[in-house]
Amino acid sequence: MGLTVKQRGQHVATFRFVEVRLMEILAAWVPSTPEMEVKLLFGPHIWDCAQAADALGRRTHELRLPLQHSLAPTAAYLDVLDAVAAAAGAPRRIAAIYDVMLPALAGRYRRYLSRTDALMDAPTVRIIEHILGTEARMIREANELRTQLPALALDDPDWLPRLAALESSVAELADQPAAPDGTRQAA
Amino acid sequence: MTVGRPQRLFAAGPARDPRFVVKEHWVECDNFPGHHPLHLVQFFHRQMNEEVDSLEASAQSIADFPDAPWELRLALARQCADETRHARAFRAHLERRGGRVGQFPVLNFQYRIITALGDLVSRLLIQNRSFEAGGLDAIAYGVGEARTRGDTELAEFYEAQLADEIAHVRFANAWIRRTLKDDPRTVLRMGQALSAAAEAFRIVMGRDGTADADYPAAVQARLEAGFTAEEVRVAADLAATVHAVPSAASSADRRAAG
Repeated sequence: MGLTVKQRGQHVATFRFVEVRLMEILAAWVPSTPEMEVKLLFGPHIWDCAQAADALGRRTHELRLPLQHSLAPTAAYLDVLDAVAAAAGAPRRIAAIYDVMLPALAGRYRRYLSRTDALMDAPTVRIIEHILGTEARMIREANELRTQLPALALDDPDWLPRLAALESSVAELADQPAAPDGTRQAA
Repeated sequence: MTVGRPQRLFAAGPARDPRFVVKEHWVECDNFPGHHPLHLVQFFHRQMNEEVDSLEASAQSIADFPDAPWELRLALARQCADETRHARAFRAHLERRGGRVGQFPVLNFQYRIITALGDLVSRLLIQNRSFEAGGLDAIAYGVGEARTRGDTELAEFYEAQLADEIAHVRFANAWIRRTLKDDPRTVLRMGQALSAAAEAFRIVMGRDGTADADYPAAVQARLEAGFTAEEVRVAADLAATVHAVPSAASSADRRAAG
């Protein structure tokens, strides 16, 4: 069975929370990252994440939640976001966002698409498809920058797999939205 | 942070990579006169860094005020993207004329003055409604100068930048007016912010950095940016008589743009 309206709203509001948090993380990094080219990578991506959050936040209202409503993800996923926010140095920061978080988030968006009713939830589908395209571009731009500036490549081979493992250990993004039969489903 | 005056006027500076030499006073920078062969190259370098400063200030406000209204955070996020484009464009103009990143010392006074302020309305007042509004006058002037010189490409770039900056000033004006309507006492905080910013600006720029720095008020741009006709009139009068105000910041840098 697909997702109920209530579940869709909960998932969309949770995705919104994550996009806002990514926006905030990138914003906090702009002044504190020395490399100008990295600041200029993060700058427009703040706006990309904000637009994603805004579109999701308008959709929450259509799904009978307040306008621009956010729901915090699971505590485990909050820990992941905190670990990302704590990354120091341009190579780690770039790797955390563009090698771990955005690809993993894309996987979670795709999982949502596979579970929802593409006809009755078409507005959400359109929003997520657009976000997927945007975030693929963000990853591409980060990779192009690392090609231009090899010094931005990660020099600690153990750090990234640890972060990726932490992220992938979180099965559920949404905080256990209830299914009609009372069971809990992964986001 | 050793500007040497009351610490509350300045926050710590933003991070810069080793290519940059960061100074604290305008007089410590290369300020080539208009006839100098490096004059325009240095101007583009300074503008590039100032756009990065604006990006950093807007980004810092997003990070510092998570409970701000969403529409305002969205506008700040958009400003981050816009200032990034401007910085990239100025870098392109710099390099096209043989310049390079880090070639000249830079100042980060805008970021340091703006982020020293503890509330978002004060930051919008100084960053958008003062620094960027002053920039409207300077950019509009630069458009005319570039066209007079036959530099159509530069004039078109300034036109695009002007449109972006008008939007930045406009959303700040709207939010400031809304805040004042909801809480008229905000005007006291705004007055304090203006005083602090003006003092900090004078410390950084000194007399040399503000002399002859003002341009005619860009009436149409200011109206589009949400200033009232009366405010535009006052700005025009000030431009003719007052130099040591924050709005002269961008003008000071752009003064020798021609």
